[in-house]
Amino acid sequence: MAEAWIRSKSAALDVAIAEAANLLAGSRFPVIAGLGTDVAGARAAVELAQCLGGAIDHMHSEFLLRDLDVMREAGMMVTTPNEARLRADFLLLVGPGLLETWPALPTELFGKRRTVWLCPDTAVKDASAYKNIDVVGDASFDLPVMLAVLRARCAGRPAANAPVAMAAIDALVGELREARFGVAVWSAAQHDRLTIEMLCGLVNDLNQSTRFSGLPLATADNADGVQQVTGWMTGFPLRTGFGRGLPEHDPWRFDASRLIDSGEADCALWISAYGTRPPAWKRGVPLVALTAETGTPRAHVTIAVGRPGIDHNAVEHLPATATLAALSAGKPSTAMSVATVLGRIIAALPAARRC
Amino acid sequence: MLTRLVGGRVIDPGNGRDAVRDVFIRDGRIVDARPGVTADETYNVSNKIVMAGGIDIHSHIAGNNETMGRLLLPEQRYPSEFPHPGHYPQPRGAWNTFETGCLYAAMGFTTVVEPAVLPHHALQAHLELADIPIIDKATLTVLGNDDFLLDLLHRREGANAIRGYVAWTLASSRGLGIKVINAGGAAAFKDNVRTFALDDEVPGYGVSSRAIVKALQLAVHELQLPHPLHVHCNNLGIPGNVETALATIAAAEGLPLHLAHLQFYGYGKEGPRGFSSGGARLAEAVNAAKSVTVDVGQVMFGQTVTISCDVLRQFNARNGARPKKWMIYDGDSNGAGIVPYDYRVTDFFNAVQWAVGLELFLLTNDPWRVFFTTDHPNGAPFTAYPEIIALLMDRDLRAEWMSRLPKEALAVTTLASITREHTLTDIAIMTRAAPAKLLGLKDRGHLGAGALADIAVYEPGDNRTKMFREAALVFKGGQLVVRDGAVLDHPFGRTFRSQPDYERAINARMRDYYEERYGISPDLMTVSDAAIGRPEPFEIVPCLN
Repeated sequence: MAEAWIRSKSAALDVAIAEAANLLAGSRFPVIAGLGTDVAGARAAVELAQCLGGAIDHMHSEFLLRDLDVMREAGMMVTTPNEARLRADFLLLVGPGLLETWPALPTELFGKRRTVWLCPDTAVKDASAYKNIDVVGDASFDLPVMLAVLRARCAGRPAANAPVAMAAIDALVGELREARFGVAVWSAAQHDRLTIEMLCGLVNDLNQSTRFSGLPLATADNADGVQQVTGWMTGFPLRTGFGRGLPEHDPWRFDASRLIDSGEADCALWISAYGTRPPAWKRGVPLVALTAETGTPRAHVTIAVGRPGIDHNAVEHLPATATLAALSAGKPSTAMSVATVLGRIIAALPAARRC
Repeated sequence: MLTRLVGGRVIDPGNGRDAVRDVFIRDGRIVDARPGVTADETYNVSNKIVMAGGIDIHSHIAGNNETMGRLLLPEQRYPSEFPHPGHYPQPRGAWNTFETGCLYAAMGFTTVVEPAVLPHHALQAHLELADIPIIDKATLTVLGNDDFLLDLLHRREGANAIRGYVAWTLASSRGLGIKVINAGGAAAFKDNVRTFALDDEVPGYGVSSRAIVKALQLAVHELQLPHPLHVHCNNLGIPGNVETALATIAAAEGLPLHLAHLQFYGYGKEGPRGFSSGGARLAEAVNAAKSVTVDVGQVMFGQTVTISCDVLRQFNARNGARPKKWMIYDGDSNGAGIVPYDYRVTDFFNAVQWAVGLELFLLTNDPWRVFFTTDHPNGAPFTAYPEIIALLMDRDLRAEWMSRLPKEALAVTTLASITREHTLTDIAIMTRAAPAKLLGLKDRGHLGAGALADIAVYEPGDNRTKMFREAALVFKGGQLVVRDGAVLDHPFGRTFRSQPDYERAINARMRDYYEERYGISPDLMTVSDAAIGRPEPFEIVPCLN
């Protein structure tokens, strides 16, 4: 079974590991990106980045950072999908992309509670298929303004430029206030930070008199789990660099695509164990790819890895509980885990670069 | 190999000893001296103080809440300088797992308990603990707001069912003991309850907070767990809450009960600001209640972040966040909140809090029943311990601090009138011998033959802060890991758990419950050795008797 390739030619695993270690150790500033991996893979990736003095980033950091920035600049109340399913008597769906982000949303949360979806109706697929869901918004619906007007009306303040009739807004405000445990659901992939902050502010305001919480949907490729790992190992979220020997977090500086396209990073390790998603950067750079399937374009070294929770047991973020969970391999195979491959790359580094 | 520490003053209250003598280490354990045997390795520790490795029974060092705090405050650091040898690849000064282990070790601490792990967060907590080097660890599993327990109580299923559930949860979450946090408060908050006291009932269950605490206290006692029920009372931080703490102490009713971070419940309603110290009253009650142990949760001044599963308290505190940002979490059968806070020297309330903590330390007579904590990071980061030790041992230093604090704040406390100075033996009891006893760790906290060779050697001097921040030598399991406050090596320790016997009938019941309530198998939330990714990550602490 082919496990590794150097410049698209099948190679012995040891040779590919040694070549990957040489490329990474020989670089001035490597970036470890993608990071679509389980907790063990993420722990090994942080260790490798520390050894190399490189940077770490996740392919979905942009989305993670939108929610995180609202929390660390303002404040946020959140709950879990399970708690929403068990307790919510009112569901406020906010914006498009919810079913795409969490396909189980209808079976988990729809049907048993009053549900209002703030979204251009053109972006809601098959809304009529879901009973009891009111979609508020036409094709030109301005969601940020809608949230701002709702928040103003909740606080008893006048508002103008409402995207729907004020009577409908005030009726919705009444419903929000009367909810016993309302939950607002959104996907950060669809909104900018100010929109999320306005929504979280609305949720907070509603808690003046009743209970309401937020449900930011989990991001793909175990991004939420990887963010926890970098949080405990470095004290920081993703987009953290070790170039000066200390971990430093900077969402702009350590954006993997920016580092590579600007030429600041001269080598990349791309990890995508949940699929074959390619890197987003444009510049050619010496590239080591750890992917679940072959075919990452332009990779100097490619090493096949197993899919977490399918080929091998894995700890990863479980959206239902919003915690880490221990998954048993669904279809156990001999494919190596990201953690195993990274451990061998670390062992193959020159002694001066090893942790 | 035989190692000999020569000529130190060995303060070992666990064995009732305080004398100049040699300490011998073989194969990671303390051994008795045998005449005529020559040591392979000798350390001259004459004129130095030798103690067992320190043990912290209550410090939030791992888990989702801690890491959410890290994500909420990327600007937060451990506020302490710490010299590392240059070859260490890991970061310095950051609020992360590696620094946590190194900074504790440098102070001579070798065992730390993470006291608040929600069952569904246990896997992450243990993964984080596994990344904390040098020290050994343990967790307390949080129960008391969970639907399953509340429903058992509601349906009056009896002590046997509760014991089975507690033991099952401990096994699944790999905890050493059980913690209850504002019993019922997080559940009540989901029903829009905004204040919750000891005799209030959780809506929907008809079960009082007191009933939850008593049921768990009994279960822990009957399971013979090595650590008594660890209680975070209701009404944390609220003026007048000394009455809540006094009522909870009375509720112990002669059975073991540990009250955490008592300082945060030491507040009366007297004085011009309606906020005063209840420290003296509390200390008096603790002195009288022999089955009760407490830890202090000392406040120190500076920026920190409060991290708590008392979501009701954190929700109510969020508008006082310093800086203004926070996270409030309505979790599965639980809750949590992260609220940054800056304790200010010029703040009346913060000054009272600081004084209340010291009152509790100084007015509680029996050092075997009062434990050394800041409720890290809630009252202060644990790196403040050396300063606190110095304050306890030196009334002149306390007077100097008090001279910089608001006079009207000190006027509603008794601190200025207290002359007691803790001795090194008091410190050794509070930070070594007593915690080992309270956690059921028979081979820790003392330096008798057979004890694990977790040893801290301090260079005595006028500057006690420096003395306790930078241990002269620290041995972990016989291995030298710290010299002059600098970490030499970072082996990884283990995490203690208990494993009480229980009737296995609960296993099938929990499987059904998880399928029905969460739509998942409980196996997903179960902590295993294999998931941790380090060799032999756990060690079982026997139950009592």
